[in-house]
Amino acid sequence: MRRYLIRRVAQLVPVLLGIAIVTFVIIRLAPGDPASMLVDTTLLSPEELQRFRAGLGLDAPLPVQFVTLLKQLATGEILSLRTGQPVLAMIADRVPITAALLGGAIVLSLLAGVPMGVMSARRPYGHLDNWLSIAALGGISLPGFWFGLILMWVFAGILHVLPASGAGPTMSLQYTALDMVPYFVLPTVVLASGLLPPIMRYTRSSMLDALAQDYVRTARSKGLSELLVLYRHALRNALLPVVTVVGLLVPLLIGSTAVIETVFAMPGIGRLVVEAALNRDYPTIMTLNLMTAVVVLVSTLVVDALYAVLDPRIELE
Amino acid sequence: MAGRALDVAQVLPADVRAGERRGEWRRFAANQRALAGAVVLAALAMSAVLAPVLAPYDPSEQRSGAVAKPPSAAHPMGTDNFGRDVLSRALWGGRVTQAVGLLSMAVSVIVGVVVGGLAGFYGRGIDAVLMRLTETVVTFPTFFLLLTLVAVFGARLWLLILAIGLTSWPITARVVRAEFLTLREREFVQASRALGAGALRTMARHILPNVVPVIVVAATLRVAYVILVEAGLSYLGVGVPPPAASWGSMVADGREYLFRAWWISFFPGLFIFLTVMTYNLVGDGLRDAFDPQRAVVDKPRRV
Repeated sequence: MRRYLIRRVAQLVPVLLGIAIVTFVIIRLAPGDPASMLVDTTLLSPEELQRFRAGLGLDAPLPVQFVTLLKQLATGEILSLRTGQPVLAMIADRVPITAALLGGAIVLSLLAGVPMGVMSARRPYGHLDNWLSIAALGGISLPGFWFGLILMWVFAGILHVLPASGAGPTMSLQYTALDMVPYFVLPTVVLASGLLPPIMRYTRSSMLDALAQDYVRTARSKGLSELLVLYRHALRNALLPVVTVVGLLVPLLIGSTAVIETVFAMPGIGRLVVEAALNRDYPTIMTLNLMTAVVVLVSTLVVDALYAVLDPRIELE
Repeated sequence: MAGRALDVAQVLPADVRAGERRGEWRRFAANQRALAGAVVLAALAMSAVLAPVLAPYDPSEQRSGAVAKPPSAAHPMGTDNFGRDVLSRALWGGRVTQAVGLLSMAVSVIVGVVVGGLAGFYGRGIDAVLMRLTETVVTFPTFFLLLTLVAVFGARLWLLILAIGLTSWPITARVVRAEFLTLREREFVQASRALGAGALRTMARHILPNVVPVIVVAATLRVAYVILVEAGLSYLGVGVPPPAASWGSMVADGREYLFRAWWISFFPGLFIFLTVMTYNLVGDGLRDAFDPQRAVVDKPRRV
């Protein structure tokens, strides 16, 4: 187990380096000068422009700039090109919002998706199963931003029961975490709508396998209630693959925060990526890309480890 | 011996074998859901091709007298904040969205087939390297990278298509690799190698025709995915460049007016949803038709 973990972490290094290089190359190969994002460069004399660019370190050869950037990143001194603030502090400010959204979406889609998958597997190809499978297909076909706008229109525009956007009440300066909850409801539901269908589908097929096993027949012949058989005996064994699916969907989920946080004007990580990309704030983009890669890789690692813990028959190598 | 007889049949050229495929179309046609999807899909595709004929108005014509009017007989989907007809704009926008979707899918599938085919056929070192690459692309939140790429290079249609295609191939690569891995060991492939056929000829003439069903299914489902990606990017304002409007950018245009004129955002988004849904329905139906084994596994097993 320990050797496995060490090897997996060691594999992270080339992947992260690759991502850093790709991000850096993309941004610096793009036409246009990052300095032009900060000032109107046509207003500066050539000497002033040169001094300005030197101040930002933009005059050094590209490989030197890249290494400098990595050094700054490692020491936490990396600064946003747009605001001049430390990037890590900017990110730290926004992580709680995205973490709350992702956590909420994962919990919500597990709570709803697993029972739906179980019900589907009860009578495969029955009415309920057919409707649920069409609904699942609809769920993965929904453009998140459109679904978000519809929910916003219905719940904020017509029913006036939830706030339309933002991450907290802007009117009062002092508010508690509880006051923020209504703002998170709609974006969490939208994020969950993409995650729930695959969870449901996997639970269903995994349950079908479990229900065909001998121990289920034994449990039934003992006269146990159907609920007990389904949830206590079959589901316990069927849940394992579902855990993996959640792990596999994390990158997709993180990616979709860019759009969802924009729709609902939530100042989270996804929105920061959009802002940084539009402003060519490459120190920020690079840091964000590396950080999300670490989060994703760590989450797959956790899923693998969890797998081995939950099922002692599985050995990691 | 039954297995051997099957292998002999496989050595026959593709056109002789075509007869065996008939069962697949029958199974597909028996699947009401997939059939309905195919009909709607065909209608959506036709509406894109015929947009110039079907659109009741000029999509960019602004009418100051008809600004943000709700759906009516004259404008079935209402008019937008410039007084433009939403239906006409959606029809023209459908051309952009569906064309970008199909082209991105083509890039994605070509890369996926080449990577998966090489990995599955050669195995060993090549396989290890290509699969590590695939794994990296899968685990990375590619949407952020895509966003960065199109944002810094500015809106260019070809770049958008290439970028979406180049970040969405891993799933295709995985299924194609799995097919190549098993087919590589089959007798008709071994026979072709023994007769002196080169690697390229063996792959193209003997293995690839047998992988076509898998590729068709992967390609259909990929269209659904890439349309959603393009729509997301266009919603953020970094997708399809103006003045062309895709469905995603039309939804974004209506966001400001959502509470006063919901129809500006609603209808273009509905088109995205319908298109993606029908590609998913057809893709699922094709998979079940080509691979009845899989469908049977899902069937209830009575105890």
